[in-house]
Amino acid sequence: MIHALLTRVGGTDWETIRLPLVLGLLALVPPVVFREGATYVSRLIILAAIFATLAMALNIVFGHTDQLFLFVGALTGIGAYTTAISAEALGVSPWVTLFIGALLTGAIGSLVCYVAARLQFTVILIAILTLALQFAVIEFFVGARDITGGSTGLIFSGLGFESLQEGFGIHEHVILYYLVLALLGATFAFYEWLRNSTYGLAFDAIRQDEVAAESIGVDVVRYKVLAGFTSAFIIGLVGPLYAQLEGFVIPGLFEFQVIDVLVLIILIVGGMRTLLGPLVGAGLVIWIDEGLASTGEWRTVIFGALLIFLFLYFRQGVVPFADRILNDRFRTRERIATWRES
Amino acid sequence: MVSASVTQLVEFAIDGITQGLVLALLGLGITIVFGLGGVLNLSIGVFSAIAVVIAIELLGITSSLPLSVVLAVVAVTGLGLVVDKSLLSFVYRSEGEERVLLGIFVTLGLATLLDGLLVIARPSSYSLSVGVPSTTVLGAQIRGSSIAIIAISLAVFAGLYYFFRRTYLGRAMRTVLQDETGAVLCGISPRKMRTLVFVLSASIAAVAGILYSFTQQVGAAEGFELTILALIVSIVGGVTSIVGAVAAGLVLGLIATFTSAYVGAYVAEIALFAAAIVALLLQPEQVA
Repeated sequence: MIHALLTRVGGTDWETIRLPLVLGLLALVPPVVFREGATYVSRLIILAAIFATLAMALNIVFGHTDQLFLFVGALTGIGAYTTAISAEALGVSPWVTLFIGALLTGAIGSLVCYVAARLQFTVILIAILTLALQFAVIEFFVGARDITGGSTGLIFSGLGFESLQEGFGIHEHVILYYLVLALLGATFAFYEWLRNSTYGLAFDAIRQDEVAAESIGVDVVRYKVLAGFTSAFIIGLVGPLYAQLEGFVIPGLFEFQVIDVLVLIILIVGGMRTLLGPLVGAGLVIWIDEGLASTGEWRTVIFGALLIFLFLYFRQGVVPFADRILNDRFRTRERIATWRES
Repeated sequence: MVSASVTQLVEFAIDGITQGLVLALLGLGITIVFGLGGVLNLSIGVFSAIAVVIAIELLGITSSLPLSVVLAVVAVTGLGLVVDKSLLSFVYRSEGEERVLLGIFVTLGLATLLDGLLVIARPSSYSLSVGVPSTTVLGAQIRGSSIAIIAISLAVFAGLYYFFRRTYLGRAMRTVLQDETGAVLCGISPRKMRTLVFVLSASIAAVAGILYSFTQQVGAAEGFELTILALIVSIVGGVTSIVGAVAAGLVLGLIATFTSAYVGAYVAEIALFAAAIVALLLQPEQVA
């Protein structure tokens, strides 16, 4: 019904208007939901947007090119630490060094993908390789005290607009929310473009049959590296924003159990290879996780059980599931109607 | 002067071998299950942690260390059986790469669940004291815990060697590892062998955890850390090779001890991961 209605009202297809529509709705969140003094809720919403962006990055590299990155946490951390440390060392604003961090993570992502593609690594091998990298990087964050400040970390708050905050009395969370939303919107719009471009076509070909794709002239290594760079670059940009939300950069923020597990769940629950899956998944998972807070110490137990259940029975994700139901109910009628007309 | 540094080297080497044998046991738990069932058990470290906590609890009741340890291993073995019969049955329904991915996700969920339960039951970490006195051999001091660890793990390896080489069951398991279709044609049920091997891996993990707790604190917080250590050993050993896992454990134990002694503790940890990455890059076809 939603499909049909939107098609009639807008005169355009749901496919083309859904992203602007969703982003427009998300832009309305701060005036409607954010309240002065209720920073707990606004923090959660920003966190959900951050995780949605991370899940979308994983969606590109894992969903479309079968390269399972289990070092999203490490990349987020590298982005945040590089931004914070180089801003301090060079004496420039974190707004500039933000891109140094992202370029570094992008380079790491490309390198990993290049090596993996050259050696013809399977999904499992890349998963183990990146998992080992994840833990090595966290060890480095903890151990290299002279550079990273060890487990006490660094204080970080360079990505705000103080003039806006003071001049107009806008809460820092509102500003941060729009920053994250801008990155989220850009990432999702990029993904939409990517899927409809020749890159998307090449990714699909590689994922379905690598040998066949290569035989018709698709440069498999190049496309895999491109996907790796893109995802790692986005993750590197998210890192400093995540640090800005928490107010500091410590190794504990970027641990496997804190970031990667959650991002994986979000992507699987929301639905891989879908546009809205990462967003729906992030909202749902952060909401469930918060709902479980009332169960106190049983939170982790229930979350684990839920994980097992979701992976066993709900692997196709919420968005494809909803889409199928909508299709079964409504598209079929549309199809019959158009068929009769012709 | 020279003799003093030689003595020190010998002491480090013994420490390294001790740590290496425990690592080898941990890695073995991952290796046999992945080799036989294609499931990368990411909950194995939590099994080890549970064994330690149960052993500590039982020690308070029975006040006999060997008895408590044996009972703890039996309890964790039972847990392994339950997990295999319930969760892994679902995982084994899928095939190939899908099974491996599903295995990773489901055991990750299981690790989270068990970890949560362990935190509720006993949130702190424990270490067991062996009660074996230290001895001095040719000027080098050997800790009592090292003697116990070396003796127990060598006994376990000898038992495993005998099991896999000489008994029908062990040979049947290795047959499935080499050629599943062939095994089925010989009347061996791969599913039964997988259950056996998972249960075996759970008990090995329990022993490894208890041995680990002779020298380090083990509890809910260390569970995942142990999984990662096990994974590294298993990768360096070639993931499906039993002998490889043992050799890798020893090599990594020595690397970790010497790096830790001469360079620094955190560099030692990174060296372990670096070894895993190098092993992956050098011999990827063995892992896949």
